[in-house]
Order: sequence, then C-alpha cells, then structure tokens
Amino acid sequence: MELSPRLGTAEYRERIRVMAMVAMLGVLVLVGRLVYVQVIDSGRWVQMAEDNVLRRIDLPSTRGVIRDRRGRVIATNRPSYFVYVVPGLFRLENFPRFAEYLGLNRDERDRLEARIRGMEGPRRFHQLLARADIDREALAMIETHRTELPGVQVIATPVRQYPFGDLAAHALGFMNEVNADDLVEYQGRDYRAGERIGRSGLEKAWESILRGRRGWVRLEHDVRGALLSARDAFQRLGSDRRQDPVPGRDLVLTLDMELMRSIDRAFRGRPSGAAAVVDVHTGRVLALFSKPSIDPNLMTTGIPAALARELDENPYRPRIDKTIYESYYPGSTFKPFTALAGLGAGLLDARSQVTCTGRHVLGRHVFRCKHVHGAIALHRAIAESCNVFFYQLAESVTMDRIAQMAYEFGLGHRTGIGINQETPGFIPTRAWYAQYYPGQWRIGHTLNTAIGQGNVRVTVLQLALAYAALANGGTLFVPQIVERVESPDGMVLQRFPPTVRHRVAVNPRHLDMINAALTDVVASNTGTAHGAQIAEVDIAGKTGTAQVSRIVRDPNDPRRSWSSMRDHAWFAGFAPAQAPEIAIVLLVEHGGSGGHEAAPLLAQVVRDYFTRIRPGAPVPTVQTLRLQEQRRRRSLNLR
Amino acid sequence: MARTLQPRLRDEFDWPLFLLVSVIATIGVVNLYSATSAHTGARSELYIQQIVWLAAGSVGATLVAAVDYKQYERYAYGAYIANLVALILVFLIGSSIRGTHRWIQIGSFLFQPSEFMKLSLMLAVARYVSRETRSESWKIRDLVAPGALIGVPLVLVMAQPDLGTALIVGLVATSTLLLQRIAWRSLVKLLVGGVAGSFLMWEYGLKEYQKGRLTSFLGGEHDVQGSGWQAHQSMVAIGSGRVFGQGFMRGTQNQQHFLPDTHTDFPFPVWAQEQGLLGATVVLVLYLLLILWSLRIASLARDRFGAAISVGVASLFFWQVLFNVGMVTRSLPVVGVTLPFFSYGGSSVLTILTGVGFLMGVSMRKSAL
Repeated sequence: MELSPRLGTAEYRERIRVMAMVAMLGVLVLVGRLVYVQVIDSGRWVQMAEDNVLRRIDLPSTRGVIRDRRGRVIATNRPSYFVYVVPGLFRLENFPRFAEYLGLNRDERDRLEARIRGMEGPRRFHQLLARADIDREALAMIETHRTELPGVQVIATPVRQYPFGDLAAHALGFMNEVNADDLVEYQGRDYRAGERIGRSGLEKAWESILRGRRGWVRLEHDVRGALLSARDAFQRLGSDRRQDPVPGRDLVLTLDMELMRSIDRAFRGRPSGAAAVVDVHTGRVLALFSKPSIDPNLMTTGIPAALARELDENPYRPRIDKTIYESYYPGSTFKPFTALAGLGAGLLDARSQVTCTGRHVLGRHVFRCKHVHGAIALHRAIAESCNVFFYQLAESVTMDRIAQMAYEFGLGHRTGIGINQETPGFIPTRAWYAQYYPGQWRIGHTLNTAIGQGNVRVTVLQLALAYAALANGGTLFVPQIVERVESPDGMVLQRFPPTVRHRVAVNPRHLDMINAALTDVVASNTGTAHGAQIAEVDIAGKTGTAQVSRIVRDPNDPRRSWSSMRDHAWFAGFAPAQAPEIAIVLLVEHGGSGGHEAAPLLAQVVRDYFTRIRPGAPVPTVQTLRLQEQRRRRSLNLR
Repeated sequence: MARTLQPRLRDEFDWPLFLLVSVIATIGVVNLYSATSAHTGARSELYIQQIVWLAAGSVGATLVAAVDYKQYERYAYGAYIANLVALILVFLIGSSIRGTHRWIQIGSFLFQPSEFMKLSLMLAVARYVSRETRSESWKIRDLVAPGALIGVPLVLVMAQPDLGTALIVGLVATSTLLLQRIAWRSLVKLLVGGVAGSFLMWEYGLKEYQKGRLTSFLGGEHDVQGSGWQAHQSMVAIGSGRVFGQGFMRGTQNQQHFLPDTHTDFPFPVWAQEQGLLGATVVLVLYLLLILWSLRIASLARDRFGAAISVGVASLFFWQVLFNVGMVTRSLPVVGVTLPFFSYGGSSVLTILTGVGFLMGVSMRKSAL
C-alpha cells in the first residue's frame, strides 16, 4: 500500500474559509430572492395561484320588472338557455349528434366544428358558445343526453320579455347586446361583452336602477379544468367564495296598459297616429301611444336584417315615437291659446263679435274658413272653430303675444319626461322671422300662427299637458311616467311626487270661458265634435284639422299618395268636462277632419276609461266629483 | 480496521453532522409525502420508497465511514475508471427514457452512473490535488491533466444528454480543484477560454430543448405557456406561499397538479407554498449549516485528501441547493438539478449519503491515529 504523503492542510484553510463565505453569500442571495418573491412581490403570485385553481363564474342579476300602475307586468325576464362547449373536455366523435340536437344547419355545423378544433393550449378549457337561446326541443335533447356529452354545458340566462308586445314599446324601449362603444363609454360599470343593455326608452333611462349588480361564485378546479368538489382553497388563498348578485329594482309606471289597449282598439283600421293621456291633477302620463310600433321582443335577440329594412322603409315610420319625438301643426287645437292671449291682453271679451263671411282677405291672399259663421263671438268661435274670428283677433293680438301664451302652456319647450329623445316643437316669434327670414315677415304669418298652422309645431304630449293645464286651472306639470321604484320584494324604495313645472299666468275667468267653449265643442249640436257626445261622461276639447304638405314617398301607390296628402286629424281635450280628471290628445295621421276622425276615437277611449278602466269606475256623480275636486284643489294649493 | 472502529464510533461520532442530515432528510420525506399526495397509485407510494433508499443509504454511509478513507484515495482512480466505463455502457446497453440515455437497469433498479460520477470524479480530483507537493501556484499547463480528468466524464454526461448532472459533476470537481492554489493569470485565461467554449457549446453542443430552457430563463416570463411553464408555476407556488404558507398538504399548486415533477426537480416550491418564507428559510439555513459544518470538517481533516473530499462533498451540497432553489425561484435556468434529501431518487440518495459517509469518515479520523 502506497503511503499518501501527509501534507499539512494549513494551506487549504484559507481557501476553505473563502468557500464558507461563498456558501453563506449564496444562501443569503437565495433567502433574499425568497423574501422578494414571497413577501414583496407575492401579490401577483397569489392572484395567479387563485386564477389557476378558482374559476369565477358570473351569477347574472335579475333585471328589475316594469309594471303599470295597476301592477300589470309590462317588462319581465324569461329564462333562456345558452349551450357552451369546453373543447378540452368535448369528444369530437360526439359532434354530429350534438349538432343534430342543437338543430344546426350544414353551415353552422361546419363553423362550430372548426371553432372547437381551432382552440389550442389552455384556451381549450374555456367555454365556447355553441348556440344562444335554444328552443325547448333542443334543450330537452341536450338535457336528456347530457351524461353522454362531456364538455357540453347549458347555462340559463334571463332574457327580457315584454308581455304586451308592441304596446307602449316606444316608451318602454328595448335592450340589445352591448357593443364596443358601450364598453368604452360605460367603463367601470362592469359591462361584459354579450351582456344586454337598455337601448332606448325607460330601459335606457332607468338602466342603472333596473340592472342590479352581477354576482359571482368561485369554483375550484385542477389543471385540466375539471371542477373539483369543495376543497378549501378559498380559505388557503384567503379569498371570498361567493358574492350574491343584487337584483335590479322594479319600476311601477304611471301608464295604464288597459287604457293603452283601449286606445289601440280605437286606432284599429288607422295605420298611424298617436295619443297621450295625462292625469290633469298630477301630470302623470296614463298612456303614451304611437302607432305603428315595434315589438321589443324582436329587438332583444338581435333584429333580422330584413325586418330592420322593412321598419326603415315603412312609410308610417314605426321607429318614430310620435308622442314626443315628432312634432305636428296643432291646427285648431291651438286656438284656445290664441284666445287666451287675446283675453289676457284685453283685446276681446265674451261679447266681442266678428262677422264671418267664410273668408278673410289680406292683400292678395284669401284666408278661408270652413263655414260662413256670420256674427260670431269667442264661445261659438271655439265651439264651431271659426278661423275668421281668429284671423281678425290675430291682427291685434300679434304673433309674440300668441307665442308668449303658448310658452306659458309649455308649448315650444321640451316637457322633460326624461325618456328617449324629445323634440321641443316650435312656436314662431317676430324675432325668429327677423333672424331667419329677414324682411319676409307678413301679417299673414301671424294669422297662420293663430290657427296653429304656419310654423307652429307641437308634440302630442305637449298638447296633452297644455290641455291638462287648461283643465286644472292653470297648473303645468312635468310629465311623470315612473310612479315609484320598488325592491324585488315589493318594498317601496322611492316614490316620485308630481312635479309642477309652473303656474300659468292667466286669469281664471278667462280659463272658465275657454273651458265652457271647449265643453260646447262636444256638447253643442253645432260644435265641431258633437259626434263625440257620449252618454256616460261629458267631454270637453278642441278638434283640429292640420293641413299637411308632405312629400309623397310612393307615387306608384295612389292610395298612399292620397292619404299622405290628407290632413292630420286632432282632438285635444279633457274629461269629465265639469270636473276634469284626464287630459287626452289624439292624433290620426292623415286621418282628415278632426271632428269626424279623431273625436269619435277619443270618445270611445274616454268612455272605456270612465266605465271600465278608471280606478273606481263607473264614473261618480257630479256632486261627488265636485267634492273630490275641491279637496284636490285644496291639497294642490297646500303643496 | 473494524476492530479500531468501535471506540471511534462512540467517541468521535460527529453528532452535529448526523443531526443535520437526519433533520433535513426527515423534512425531505415529509415534503415528498405532501408533494406526491395529490397523485394516486405508484407515485403516492414514492415517499416509502424514498425511506427505503434513505435506510439503505444510511447503511451504506455507515460502511463508507467505517472504512478509512485512505482506501478511497487508493482506489480513487480505479473507481473513476470503472464509472467512466459505466458511463460509456449507458450508450450501449442503457435504457432510453424520454430520449435520454441515463440509466442502466440492474434488476429492478435503474442505476444512474452519472449520479455516482459526482463522487468518483471528486475522489479522483481530490487525490490528484492532494498529491501536489510543489509549493508554487499552478499554471495552465498544470491544469491540463486535471482538466482532462474532469473533461472526459463531463462530455459523456452531457452527451446523454443531462445538462444538470454535468453541471454539478463539473462544479464539484472544479470546487475541489480550487483547493490548489492556481495563478491568477491562468485563471483569467481559463475564464476567457471558458466563455469561448460556452459559445462553441451553444452552437454545436446543446440540444434544442436545452437551448429552449436557457432561452426561456433568459427571456423571462414571456413564454408562460411553453418551456417557461414549469418555472412560472413554480414561482406561482412559492409566491403564493407568502410568509406563513398555506399549510401542510394544502398547497393549491401541487394539490391541483399545476406544479410538474414535484418529486424530482420541483419539491422545493411545494415546501415553499405550504410552509411559506419561514419554512423555506429554515430549510435553506439547515443546508447552510450542513455546508459550513462540512467545510469545518475539511479544515480540521488530518490530511489533504480528507480535506479535499470534504470540500468536494460540501460543494456537492452547495451547488445542488444553489442550482435547484435558484432554478425554482427563476433566478437560474431550469437545468434539472435535484435538491439533496428532498428529491426522490435512489441514485441521488445513495450518492448524497455516500458523501455524508465520507464526511463522517473524515470527521471521525481528524485526530491522527
């Protein structure tokens, strides 16, 4: 055995000490690294660990229900079923069966298969929408064969439903999927692609109230995406397991769907028109009717292109809300305001007479009246709608006084109903003519204005509120369509009291004069709307026959050409005449004469309302009505 | 020889070494139990197998310690040659697993010669270095012979290919070699040559997946789905352990199978997620104590060879811990280095415990006979 030289290790010690220091340094660096990763930078790793094992599944909130004032559901939610595929768990040999259950056509089938095959890497464990809103049959097939179809998931999602179809659709609005612009605009409000958002009407204006807040639940799963039974990763990761969704709040409207139906029935056979009914004591909107309308149920799931085109090309313009977004010449329904302007200026009284020869000559122009009324004072001039009386009045009253009175009654300004886009309408003034038609103003413009023609434009709702103000002694209300907000369990969260816009500066005696004349429009046998007399309740109001000059869209269809040249038929009024409760305005587009076309429809609606629809119908006696009226007046004054 | 062992075992037994190794090995088994608990079947039984290896290794270590290490010095070159032959045999009769040639099957045991080369080469280098009688520093020409000694097995291991083991084999041998004083100029020259060599190695020596691992390390986090996946999930495990950990058997990354290879290369993230910074630091400090104790044994050794093999074993601990923990904390590339006592593996356990046996043998013989 060879002897190893016993050389001393002293020489090594120095280097061993260096090695010890290197070792300490090395371990120190590792510990430092751990401190960084596990303490300083741990937040993001904890998040990633969570994301690894906890899958967050959204729990949709239920959108608030919309009811009418009698509690009828106007907008609610129905369950709909969406089918998803997780490619990583799905077996492709099942695909033909799966496609058959879903009822996919050749094209859809190929596209879906390509999408399933196209998913790679971890994306294979993400959900892929196979089909939205499947029908009952497909649902039954999928559910029956669920165990044979691994990786197929059916998820119930609520979809908006409108039981009344197209009734009140413009006011209600509709919903559809959020788009890229919405996601930018409503950033921070937690909208997701695929979610639906209120697009118009109440659905849009009250979106934040109706929507509620989405909840979520986190489920634990492993690397292959399989959901595991509850292990307590939540506790380990210190995170919450679940956040319950907050359901949206319900709206109770002032609308009365029964009244809406009645109006709809009255409009049968008339292709287009509009109506508004307002509670004269509160400004609450009982009906907002625009015809033709669109069933919002069709819009919810995405409107087919063909239908969209049809809606756009329909000459009766179903997309337009004719109660607030379209303005019209008010025609003779405007005359009470001209009269009030004259009365207010002291330019006439009940006895002031004019002789109607059926025409009024102004220079080279001849302004015509419907009849030869002879000697006529204010009362008859309104009841029988004498233009000549108002032409003569107009010359002294002047355009600006008329405009002033119209503004007092809210015409020419937006009502502030708070839904959709609203047009302010238009009331011309001298200043306006001076600005836009310098040197072209003629007294004739005032004459046209006096009878609601020329450049005067109002909306149906504006006119209803103005007539409500006539009926209630001069209180102009802000129209109200939402009466209260309720929690899903029916608790009232917020109640909206009527809002007075302002008191009309007008002498009550003048109002009584006008109202008496309006009563005789229907009640007198010479009144323009005497055909609208009904036994059940007295109606007061004013007919209007607004001349239109609309471009004929379809010269190949003579029937349409004719109808679009016809006048708009108006009736604006209130009932009961002695103790008014509701103001109602009805417009039949291209209906012709207001007295013959609009008034009878209105009478039918009013009869329906007071015999059947009104709370506490049939109509009370005149005495009790007066008592109620006095009480209301008192309470209004107190407020 | 055995006659003189009895009093030594009683009087000179190195208790700190024994305790440190026992504690670390126990923690290692406990962690292996948790790391494999999410699995069913054979893998969940690995911790038992590991205990068996540890027991066998302890017997082996006892025997290794019992024999005077003069014998190892004597047979160092023989063991080295024998191991080289085994490394060559790997290519001829070895079992190919996942495209690599690392194992030779003997009965039911897969024998991994490259693992034992860590010690065989270290012994050979230790013998070579400790025999140097000249007092002046080595120049480059003095490094040619030990360079060849190290280079041949290194090339063979890399050719398997097994980058991680080659790295450790090379580093352990080099660390041992550094006990000899070498001229600074020569070291600088070697360094330059090494850089050039690395470049050549990159161009011609590395497999694509090995390059991928290196680039995924160098490229940072960008490639989360590809070759950086393991390192990424490892970071997620460690980071989410925070200070106090998620608790034993409760680490989500392991329990839900996001961590790969928790029984071989990635046991430490399991520990770090479940025991947090505190547990991880405790383990690192235990390793440091073991290393420092081993170096103390080296400096107290009765002769140069004893000191050299002690330094070799200490560096074996150090480099494996540094590279494994560095790799799982994404401080170093994923190169497949196991963590002593934590990683499952017969060859690995036997190698480490044989090293412990060397240390014990040197420690017990520190006072001259």
